[in-house]
Amino acid sequence: MFAKLKKKIAEEAATAPRGGVRIPRTISKESITSVGADSGDDFASDGSSSRDDLPAQLLRRNDQIRKLEAKLSDYAEQLRIMQKTKDKLEIALEKHQDSSIKKLQEQNESHQANRAKMAEGMALALEKKDQEWMEKMADVEKEKAALSARLEEMMEQSLALFQKRDDLDELEGFQQQELAKVKHMLLRKEEQLSQRERELQQKEAEAQSAKRGLSEARGKLQVLQQQHEESCRLNSELEIEREDLLLLREEADKKIGELEGRCQELQSVIQQVSEDFQKSQSMVSTLEKSLHDLQTEHDVLKLQQQKAAVTEEDKERLLMDLQKKVTSLERRLQGNLSQDEHLQELLQEKSSLEESLEETRAELLAVRTNHADTVSSLEAQVSRMSCSITELQTLLRHKDDSSRAYRERTDTQVANLEQQVLDSSERLKSAEQQITDKQQHMDKLQGVWSAEKAFLDQQVCLLQQQSQEKASRLEESIASLETDKQTLQDRVTDLEKQRDDVNSSLRQRTEELEQCRTELDSRQTVSIEIAKALEETRRQKEELQTQVGELAASLQTSQQELSTVTEKLALREEDIKTLQNELQCRQASVVQLQEEAERLRAQLQQMELDRDSQLISLRKELLSQTQQLDSCQARILYLEVEVETLTEQLHSPEVCEEDQNGSVTVDDLDHIQKVNRELEQQLSDKNRTIKQLQQRLAELKRTLQKELKLKPEPEAEGKEKLQESRAEKQERLCPEPPPASAPSPPTSNTMVTNTSDLNDSREINFEYLKHVVLKFMSSREAEAYQLIRAVSVLLNFTREEEDMLKQTLEYKMSWFGSKPSPKGIIRPSISGTSTNWS
Amino acid sequence: MGQANIWTYSGFFSSLFSGLFGTREMRILILGLDGAGKTTILYRLQVGEVVTTIPTIGFNVETVTYKNLKFQVWDLGGQTSIRPYWRCYYSNTDAVIYVVDSNDRDRMGISKSELVAMLEEEELKKAILVVFANKQDMDQAMTPAEVANSLGLPALKDRKWQIFKTSATKGTGLDEAMECTELHVHV
Repeated sequence: MFAKLKKKIAEEAATAPRGGVRIPRTISKESITSVGADSGDDFASDGSSSRDDLPAQLLRRNDQIRKLEAKLSDYAEQLRIMQKTKDKLEIALEKHQDSSIKKLQEQNESHQANRAKMAEGMALALEKKDQEWMEKMADVEKEKAALSARLEEMMEQSLALFQKRDDLDELEGFQQQELAKVKHMLLRKEEQLSQRERELQQKEAEAQSAKRGLSEARGKLQVLQQQHEESCRLNSELEIEREDLLLLREEADKKIGELEGRCQELQSVIQQVSEDFQKSQSMVSTLEKSLHDLQTEHDVLKLQQQKAAVTEEDKERLLMDLQKKVTSLERRLQGNLSQDEHLQELLQEKSSLEESLEETRAELLAVRTNHADTVSSLEAQVSRMSCSITELQTLLRHKDDSSRAYRERTDTQVANLEQQVLDSSERLKSAEQQITDKQQHMDKLQGVWSAEKAFLDQQVCLLQQQSQEKASRLEESIASLETDKQTLQDRVTDLEKQRDDVNSSLRQRTEELEQCRTELDSRQTVSIEIAKALEETRRQKEELQTQVGELAASLQTSQQELSTVTEKLALREEDIKTLQNELQCRQASVVQLQEEAERLRAQLQQMELDRDSQLISLRKELLSQTQQLDSCQARILYLEVEVETLTEQLHSPEVCEEDQNGSVTVDDLDHIQKVNRELEQQLSDKNRTIKQLQQRLAELKRTLQKELKLKPEPEAEGKEKLQESRAEKQERLCPEPPPASAPSPPTSNTMVTNTSDLNDSREINFEYLKHVVLKFMSSREAEAYQLIRAVSVLLNFTREEEDMLKQTLEYKMSWFGSKPSPKGIIRPSISGTSTNWS
Repeated sequence: MGQANIWTYSGFFSSLFSGLFGTREMRILILGLDGAGKTTILYRLQVGEVVTTIPTIGFNVETVTYKNLKFQVWDLGGQTSIRPYWRCYYSNTDAVIYVVDSNDRDRMGISKSELVAMLEEEELKKAILVVFANKQDMDQAMTPAEVANSLGLPALKDRKWQIFKTSATKGTGLDEAMECTELHVHV
């Protein structure tokens, strides 16, 4: 406990110098007030936090810490006091324990006394219980007697039951015998039944065959009826035909009458025609007579013509004679020349004669023509007549032909008709004969059919009667058999019923028996249990008696103990109350202390925050200062230039008046120099502060890096920042040389980076290396040549190695030259001295 | 200028070959602090487009053709850790384009110190300096004069320098800057 407290104090001492402004109110009120006042002051100074007051603050903090330590020592003392009180309390506690042990022993004794008392009370109670138990026992024994009586009764009942069972067995035997008999009878009856059934089946078969015969007969009958129907149809058809034929005959008779009428008409026509023929014949004869006349006339005319022709020949002969005479006369004249007058007269005579001849000739011709004309007219008449005659003859002939043909036709017609009449009559006769035949046949068939039908009907009736008889007989037998069967079944059911009854009675008996047995068993078990219970009760009684004695003793002791213990308890409670009060006080103080600690922590945090903000402000200041510095430098440069020019001007005698800025005097120069110096002073001061701040910054960053070691990215950033800051620092430092020297650019030793930085950042720049090498390998040779430097720097090549690489590339690019021999670069470098390439 | 330098550098053969087969490529370095816009400028010059970039760990090298002149432009990553490697690329450099974020007033000092350190290098004594005051499209951008002052450019001696206000994303000022660079390099 003490160690813990010490530890706590130590922790507080460790944390106290950092923060802790407001000290909580604790035991000593003086310290509270004083510290409170101090803290208020501190806070005010903190509020106006400026970087110049930092040490003062720190001092104040230290004071505070000292105060806190003093307070802590107070606490320690207090704690020591508390420890002492605690020891005292422990001693008191031990005392209490001793007393309590004693009290306990006393209580034990009292308890034992109580127990004795209790035991006495219990003994009394037990006696009472014993009496009760005895009574109970008597009751139980009575029950037992009653039960034994019942047992005897049950035994009797069981005997009766045995007898009954025997009777039952006998009855069962009888029943079985009867059953056997009944079964035998049943079997027989069944056999009979089967026989009857067989007979019935046979009879049914017969009935079926009879029915079949009947159906056949019916079929025949149907066939016959069909035939009868057919014959009836034929009959009707024949009658129709007959009627038709009769009609035909009548028509034929009518036709015959008509034909005869026509025949008579035709005969009259024929007579007329013959009369016409006779008339035409007479006309023909007359016409022939006239023809004859005409022919004779024609002959006469021909004779006349011939006569005229003869006469004409005569005349021509005469003429010929006369012409011979003339010719002779002329010869005579010619022989009588001197006879001129004669001659002339002769000539005249000749001419007269010729004239007369001519005249006759003309006459003759005229006659002749007349004659010819008459002849021709006559001939025309004759031809005409002959023509008419021929026409008439042809007409006649035609008429004859037509009449003959007509007659022939009529004759043939008549003959045909007569023939037809004869045929039809013959046909009629044959038809009538046929009809009669058919009617006869029909009659015959009807007779046969009616006879057959009657016969079949009779047969059918017979068969039906037979079958009905058979069926009735069979039905009767079936009914009788069924009645037999029913009676048998009734008997069987009766017997079964009897059997069931007997069985049920048997079962009842057996059940009763079993019940009796179970009852008996239960009674026996009950009696046994009762006996057991009796024994147990006795045992319990004894136990209880002993227990009662013990309990009475213990009761007494316990009562005594109780009183003492209650007293002790009251004392203890008082003690506890006092202790609790103390504890509460202590806890309150502890809580106060914790609150104080928390407040101190909060203050610390605030302080840290303040410090961070200060840091940030400092950084900003730094930046502004650097900027200022830049501007100052610029101004300094400018001033320096001016100073130079001014000094030059001063040295040169003639440039006093002319100046860039107008009027520059020595005073001005001095003033400027003063200003310059002041500025330089300022600058150096600021640089100093900057250095300090940077150192602090570096420290802070270190701590920050420690904290953020797990996170790689911020670390890198930090490093970068660090580098930057360093670079800046270097930069800041470099332009410090005295203002008199010319502003030259920074020398080579102020390189932004050095090899150590490279080594540091090599790990980060692995990616860079990768990229460069990739490019070096992939780019064309001209570019690769440019990259040799970069590659060799990145891979820390020696000078030789780099040269070798260059030579190799040149060899590759050129067309001529030999491949450079490797100068010990392929093998691991022995020297190992990586000389700087710059 | 470039032709005269050929014999002085160790890159003798390459120069000879490139001299034999066409014009020698001008070697330009783009330097500057991280996030100044070097990579964006490089690709703006090469393809004329604004590309999305990530911080360059390493470098980008591209051949930019401007007015039938080929420039081998090296854009070196400007992060603090890899800035020391810039000096590996200095040899045979004709021009340095130093890119400054005109809005980054805080780091202007660092930028200046890096520039001064770079200009100290012997290998870059003959190289011309072109400063790009980049990100001029932003509202808070410093003017080129301010940038030049904060970089201490007026104090430079023995050095041709030129400052341009540019905006890589908008593409303004790059053409003029390149024209000037080309002129200076080619003389």
